[in-house]
Amino acid sequence: MKIKAKLKGQTIKVKALFNSAMVGKEEAIKKKTVPSFITHIIAKVNGETVYEVSTGPFISKNPLFKFQFVGAAKGDSLEIITTDNNGKQEQGTTKIK
Amino acid sequence: MERRKFLTVGSTALAISLVPLSLSAVNFRESSPQTWEARHSVDAIKELYGSSDGIAGVIKLKAPKLAEDGASIPLNIKSKMDLESISVFQDANPRSAVAVFSIPKNGCVNFDLRIKMKTTSNITAMGKGRDGKLYKTVQKVNVSIGGCGAS
Repeated sequence: MKIKAKLKGQTIKVKALFNSAMVGKEEAIKKKTVPSFITHIIAKVNGETVYEVSTGPFISKNPLFKFQFVGAAKGDSLEIITTDNNGKQEQGTTKIK
Repeated sequence: MERRKFLTVGSTALAISLVPLSLSAVNFRESSPQTWEARHSVDAIKELYGSSDGIAGVIKLKAPKLAEDGASIPLNIKSKMDLESISVFQDANPRSAVAVFSIPKNGCVNFDLRIKMKTTSNITAMGKGRDGKLYKTVQKVNVSIGGCGAS
């Protein structure tokens, strides 16, 4: 997981790149693997949710998400937690620049 | 008696303070599992919001008119309205729902993501405002080479 967060004026612009094959049911049969995709992504700053998305397997492989939010300062740490279809969680943190 | 009164007041106050927290974070996979199984976008939207009609022109959906590679179609969703949630659907893949964003109070509606599409189809962005109204934007995307490992 790679995260970049930059403060521009009032808003914080975030780019997040996740590592996931994003293989759904039908694709897994074709490729002879098991389904593996991210189902839920949540971003938090100081314990407050700033971004949340529930996803399906039709997001591109190694998904890149961009989003913006307001109400945080330089130096605050941004925490992102992803959950995949098997319930495995991954966590990443970065400081807002 | 006084103590009992105090306790009831305290517990209701606690319950009220807990409500916004649970509302601000919604896992749509758990709250509406039927949406993720629907084949067509109309059915999926009805499962999620109850109705598939919405006011046009509020949500801006930026997508290429012609996508050369269906494995990675960049989308941008923007809106100035105070929305509660935004979802993305398409009709090219085995199931319709792609992603459902739940928007917290201090979030801006400006999301970028990349999706997969097997064939040419419509992409629907559906949003629900905090006032309870529904907003809908549809755009057609032509795909010349299919994604999803199939063509």
